[in-house]
Amino acid sequence: MIEGHDDLFGTNVLLVTGKGGVGKTTTAAALGLAAADSGRDTLLVEVEGRDTLSRAFATTAWDYQEREFRPGLWGVSLDPAEAVYEYLELFYGLRRVQWMMERSHALDFVTTAAPGLRDLLLIGKVYEIEARRRADGRRLFDTIIVDAPPTGRIVPFLQSPSAVTEIVRMGPIRRQSGQIEAMLTDPSRCRALVVTLLEEMPVTEAAEGIVAMAAAGVATGPVVANQVVVPAVTAEQAEVLCGDPAPVRDVAAGVGLDLDDHDLAGLTTMVSDHRVTVARQRRLATRLQAGTGRDLLVLPDLAADTFDVDALHVLADTIARQVGADGPTGLDVAGIVAEPDSSEGGR
Amino acid sequence: MSASTPDEGIGHGGLAAAVDDAHVLLTTGAGGVGKTTTAAALALAAAFRGRHALVITIDPARRLAQALGLEGLATEPQPVPLDAPGRLDAMMLDMQSTFDDLVDRHAATPDRAAAIKDNRIYQTLSASLSGTQEYMAMEKLHELHDRGTWDLIVVDTPPTRSALDFLDAPARMTSFLEGRLLRLLLQPAMSAGRGYLRAVNFGATAFMKVAGKVTGMGVLDDIADFFRAFDGMYDGFKQRAEEVLALLRRPESRFVVVTSPQPPPLREARFFVDRLEQEGLHLAGVVVNRLHGAPVGHDPAELRRAADLLERSDRDANGPQAVTGATAAGLRLAADLRTIAAREARDVAAALVNRSVPLVVHVGRRSGEIHDLPGLEAIATDLTGPVPD
Repeated sequence: MIEGHDDLFGTNVLLVTGKGGVGKTTTAAALGLAAADSGRDTLLVEVEGRDTLSRAFATTAWDYQEREFRPGLWGVSLDPAEAVYEYLELFYGLRRVQWMMERSHALDFVTTAAPGLRDLLLIGKVYEIEARRRADGRRLFDTIIVDAPPTGRIVPFLQSPSAVTEIVRMGPIRRQSGQIEAMLTDPSRCRALVVTLLEEMPVTEAAEGIVAMAAAGVATGPVVANQVVVPAVTAEQAEVLCGDPAPVRDVAAGVGLDLDDHDLAGLTTMVSDHRVTVARQRRLATRLQAGTGRDLLVLPDLAADTFDVDALHVLADTIARQVGADGPTGLDVAGIVAEPDSSEGGR
Repeated sequence: MSASTPDEGIGHGGLAAAVDDAHVLLTTGAGGVGKTTTAAALALAAAFRGRHALVITIDPARRLAQALGLEGLATEPQPVPLDAPGRLDAMMLDMQSTFDDLVDRHAATPDRAAAIKDNRIYQTLSASLSGTQEYMAMEKLHELHDRGTWDLIVVDTPPTRSALDFLDAPARMTSFLEGRLLRLLLQPAMSAGRGYLRAVNFGATAFMKVAGKVTGMGVLDDIADFFRAFDGMYDGFKQRAEEVLALLRRPESRFVVVTSPQPPPLREARFFVDRLEQEGLHLAGVVVNRLHGAPVGHDPAELRRAADLLERSDRDANGPQAVTGATAAGLRLAADLRTIAAREARDVAAALVNRSVPLVVHVGRRSGEIHDLPGLEAIATDLTGPVPD
């Protein structure tokens, strides 16, 4: 059970990760909205430079300067090259080396080739933002939500500070990487949320990701189950719909809907597929919770005409409902992935 | 859908020609869209159609790997037991051993090769240099294509951060290794190793100061060692990269862009289609995986209206209550699926509008993971149609 917004958003930095294609960005966006709706000054951070978060909110592309694009919700897109310049300027006042680096392969090397340096620069920037304070000493952002690299790359990403410590024997990078590592491994300051679909491979990878992050000393919060199919047909109804088609055709004809044999066969296949999917989701949700010991945050698959900011709001409100607040448009997802009763078990 | 993107519904099997004619097929696309499964299904289809096919996978799901007989470390092609007119071999790409082979082949002496492989920078390079995986996949393709054993080689490209990294990999790799400017800037460290100092320009001195301060000098020494060890190998690498690009540009080499119907992977698919055209590479078609079907032939509003009427109606008058409730629930679900299917169709059409795509193949959702050859065969049928007699 996730006990309120404080339980979910109680850490300064939330790293949203998951296997490719599971909807990390959508999840990060919905979490950002939910956090902002709960009154937290929230920053959404893009590190892969693909403008996916800004597109989700239908804003212009974000850049290195954070901007408030909705009340209480800021966005920033981190770029390793910018991070290098800022770093050099901060420590050495060396903005003028920029032209030189741009004209050489040096920047290429720093941002793509040097072991872990690119990741360190990005995570270092998150560290710098986390450390910012207002005049009264409070943190500038209550919640920083990072659309982080996928599970396959998250551990190297998070270990970049220690990896660099091994290679770099002195200098400010070495000193700073220790402080970044301290932030990443402090569960009150930083947690990772793993996003998954309730399908075999993503669930397996999510569980492995949690273990790998634990080994790297990074705490993980609830697991987010995305695109969960909401059960729409009970076992009894499925039995009716997969049985003799004549009564179904008659009932539909009674309200003016003509279903031909093709329609009726399609209905039967759809219903049995749906039941199989729902049963599989329950089985995998149970396995996921038992295997990881984590709470599950459920994001439903929405039957929306377009997936736009309104849809994100529905997901944000659905998150709010699950932590104990009532969202005006959120779906009630309690029981979607609960243990099945004996009459349900799919085929 | 634009005129250039024929849409014949799910599973119309349009990739048969590509599987019959091509010598090389490369599946590419964003992460998590089903590239590996598509690659394996295309190779399987080729075997069923009488060809000797090889599929090179990067990181197959465990059960797909089992289905292909790739449970161990199969870094050489392994035959997949199959009752088919053709043959299917499968292998996994191992980055480190491919890179090591490359160094062994191009290094002047075995000592030089050993020195490179011992270098700390080299050891982390294959894991961290963007594009290395892609480069190695291309390198392996080149090597296996040269053997002339297979009618068709299907390559599953690595899950890159951006699908475009893959095309840039050979050039990026060689430009990094060549890295004339970087080497020039590192000259003092490299020269120091030879025990004398050379005159360096101001830029190099300033860079050394900065880089030294930022990274600590140790890492620069390692880099200098690395480049010294690699000296003389650039030409071999570069020539190899050019040969790979020439192979990819042949008309018998074709790309299959794989996507799911969500906007972010669709955007990557569109970028990739554009990029292939700019580079003069050949697109066999776009595969859209995991589409929702439209189970009932009525539009969603009509289905929802009927469901509303059923729920509001005097149930007993309209038929047995259980049937009324069940029918309403079934129609509502069908309406939701049609809504999603329509959204997906619009998103696919929008992504590919005004692009000349020879073929868009739709593959339906499967209510479970592909874990055996019959499952793969079903996908193959969606992609290439039924096997001809």
